[in-house]
Amino acid sequence: MEAFILPKAELGNFVAALKKDNEVLGPVAKGEEYIFASIDDVKDLRLDYDTTILPPAKKFIHMPGEVLFEFEGVVEGKAPEKVGKRVLFGVHACDLNGLLSLDKIFLETYPDAYYKARRENTAIVALNCVSPCTYGYCASFNSGPSADIGFDLCLTDLGDKYFVEVGSDKGREMVKGLSAASNEDYIARNRSLRAAQQQITRRIDADNLGVLLHQNYDHPVWQEVTEECLACGSCTSVCPTCYCFGVKDYVDLTLQKGERQRFWDSCMFYEFSRVAMDHIFMPDREARVKQRLYHKLTYYQQQFEAPGCVGCGRCVYTCIKHIDPVDIVAKIQADPNPEKEVKLYTPPEKKVKPELDPWEPQKAVIKSIKQQTPDVRTYTFAFVDPKVQEAYTYDPGVFNMISVFGIGESAISISSCADLKGVFQHTIRAVGNVTNALAELKEGDIVGIRGPFGFGWPVEEMKGKDVLLVAGGIGLAPLRPVIKYIQARRDQYGKFDILYGSRTPEGLLFTDEYDEWRKIPDTRLHLTVDMVPPGVEWGHNIGVVTTLFNKISVDKDNAVVVTCGPDIMMKFVVLDLLKRGWSPEQIYVSLERRMSCGVKKCGNCQMGPVFVCQDGPVFRYADIMDLPGGVF
Amino acid sequence: MAKPKIAFFKFSSCAGCQLNVLNLEPILLDIVGAVDIRYFVMAKRENFEGPYDIGFVEGAVTSPRELMELKKIREECSILVAQGACACHGGIPSVKNFSGMTQKEMEQRVYTELWDLKSFPAQAIDYYVKVDAYLKGCPMDKDEFVTLVTSALKGINPLFRYHSVCNECKLKENNCLVLTKGKACMGSVTAAGCGAQCPSLGRPCEGCRGPASDCNAASLAKTFIDLGLSRDDVVRKFRKYAGNTPEFSKGAEAV
Repeated sequence: MEAFILPKAELGNFVAALKKDNEVLGPVAKGEEYIFASIDDVKDLRLDYDTTILPPAKKFIHMPGEVLFEFEGVVEGKAPEKVGKRVLFGVHACDLNGLLSLDKIFLETYPDAYYKARRENTAIVALNCVSPCTYGYCASFNSGPSADIGFDLCLTDLGDKYFVEVGSDKGREMVKGLSAASNEDYIARNRSLRAAQQQITRRIDADNLGVLLHQNYDHPVWQEVTEECLACGSCTSVCPTCYCFGVKDYVDLTLQKGERQRFWDSCMFYEFSRVAMDHIFMPDREARVKQRLYHKLTYYQQQFEAPGCVGCGRCVYTCIKHIDPVDIVAKIQADPNPEKEVKLYTPPEKKVKPELDPWEPQKAVIKSIKQQTPDVRTYTFAFVDPKVQEAYTYDPGVFNMISVFGIGESAISISSCADLKGVFQHTIRAVGNVTNALAELKEGDIVGIRGPFGFGWPVEEMKGKDVLLVAGGIGLAPLRPVIKYIQARRDQYGKFDILYGSRTPEGLLFTDEYDEWRKIPDTRLHLTVDMVPPGVEWGHNIGVVTTLFNKISVDKDNAVVVTCGPDIMMKFVVLDLLKRGWSPEQIYVSLERRMSCGVKKCGNCQMGPVFVCQDGPVFRYADIMDLPGGVF
Repeated sequence: MAKPKIAFFKFSSCAGCQLNVLNLEPILLDIVGAVDIRYFVMAKRENFEGPYDIGFVEGAVTSPRELMELKKIREECSILVAQGACACHGGIPSVKNFSGMTQKEMEQRVYTELWDLKSFPAQAIDYYVKVDAYLKGCPMDKDEFVTLVTSALKGINPLFRYHSVCNECKLKENNCLVLTKGKACMGSVTAAGCGAQCPSLGRPCEGCRGPASDCNAASLAKTFIDLGLSRDDVVRKFRKYAGNTPEFSKGAEAV
């Protein structure tokens, strides 16, 4: 270890020297509490602080709100602002570890340019805790009270001086002129850190915490917590590892000029999972409470191999009801449910197109629009830049984020197959702000497209097997590429059954393609509707889509099922097939959740430990059937 | 597109929300340029009959005359907006609903000339007619008003977020008034959108914007008791601006 000594009397000069080239951000008092703020006068610097209201690294690097780009009319991007050099001075070990966890989200799987620019321009001077705070339990996760990685410098208070540990070349530059630490200084530092460690009595026993929590998803403690919880979301605002954000378009009264903004969001908020028609995926407070705590204590680790809780204690202190993860885990441990076999979810290998800027929508022009039903249209798009269009390829079942500038962005599956060259298609029902705005657009209008994102249908794995395709309503759109794909490679697949249900005959999609599909060798198309309005002719089945299951002709023992439709439909498709002896291994479902980023960052689409955007949207049912709280 | 015709109406309330429209000075002319204000008694001498594209209604409904007018307004306006706490939740006038007095006793206590007076419990306007959008708060928030007008011009849902005021307080790094001062702040159960104005000035939230989505008023009521409030005080907290709402009623009934 390379270490130096900074006498406290010299702190002013040291900070003044840093301020020559950097903005120095450090802890200052605000009322009875502390916050990180720009240090104008070194006398304001309060290195004796216990904790701050917001975690410093999240406040200055993730940023509570920012502009992604500005637009006028169709689009014009704006590069992220150049950030000046900054020093975060006096960051506690917990917050530093929180930052290292955030790095996993924002610097991997499509690095986020905005975050990255700030991250690279920010030097970290850590500060070891020699007198631990009241609510912290950092020792449980090895994320405090002392920092061991990730800093440029790390200070330890030794009474009248600071022990200064060098962690990087940047740090080495900063300590020029300081005298080296002596043996006695090393001993004093180690002793005070050991003493601090011993003072921390609050602990979560972290061995197999994930398994324990999964076994106790229905433990009575969750009911107690739900009754207490005010659902105010403060715990997530102050958490150093909470990364969730929302994205929205702002326009001024000209209706043309505006900007796309992002802002901190929270899984504790009712509207967090809201999609068109005010559908809420997590309306239940208990589910949200569990999502937060499970995410902190186990999902984060499963998703990013980084700690989701660094034991800073802010959520406990900030909570008016003092809901405390330490207590909750202790209560579970005191009276656990019987042990059972638990398989923790692990995300699939990442599938990333490194050349893609995750935030920059590419302009695409509407080539044609075809009305499918009164509220569903199929749009044929081509990228304005021919090079982008040429390079554009995608698997059946993946999605794009479609932007209408000034309205917003929506995740929509691609309804064409990549065999179709020069253009791509989306089949969209007008139900929300973006899709209604799309419905107003005409041929020649421009939209923004980001994508393709996610994992699609297992068309490779299906080769040599029979295929059962079950679709409901608009759910046929992401499955149409499968039909096209098989049609083009018919000899590589076995028997093919297509079962399609809709509410009414009027709601059926792609009706003009049915004859073509029926002509595909060894392929059967069965249709059903829930109801037939008076006066409408209908020569097919009536009933939900599972009433067609007696017509299945594919070989159960050598077939793959692909299904997409409303959650409730997929639920009964899966249940019915399992009852008929099909295995969860052979069933694939395509899930829908709210999505804001598409690149595993905003957190909106999380379903337990799963990111629907990047781990899916297509999942093998066997991989997700054991998620705490279930799938459907 | 022709400029949308808009109108402002007022029932039992203080007119503060209408005044807040005029307080939009920096962009007032932009708004006047974007819409056609057909009816706004507070601000204009010349006012016109309906129909209107958007009607903003301020105030609670607490008399048969108001109810009759409201029904007419509903027919005249394609989009009807409840403007401010009184129109959204009953607001301050709804305090009388929980006074324990009869309507007659209250009338006698407040007015001397009773011959032309007829009143009933104060209700939000959506108690009687369909409301398309809400501008919460006492007074309504100016920025939300502008967002709503912009959204209406674009024909989209403004997708307001009604999570708790705590969130806005945290982003401002305010000292929590409950935790540091022991004050009975309603922020944790109250719909955000005001920018946590009162707590930022050291004053506890009064809940003027009504309940946050899926809030837990019963749990907060118990905290208020722990802070030393009397049962009556807790009830008054929850019956002040939005006592009519089932969410805040749960707070008032929990103690």
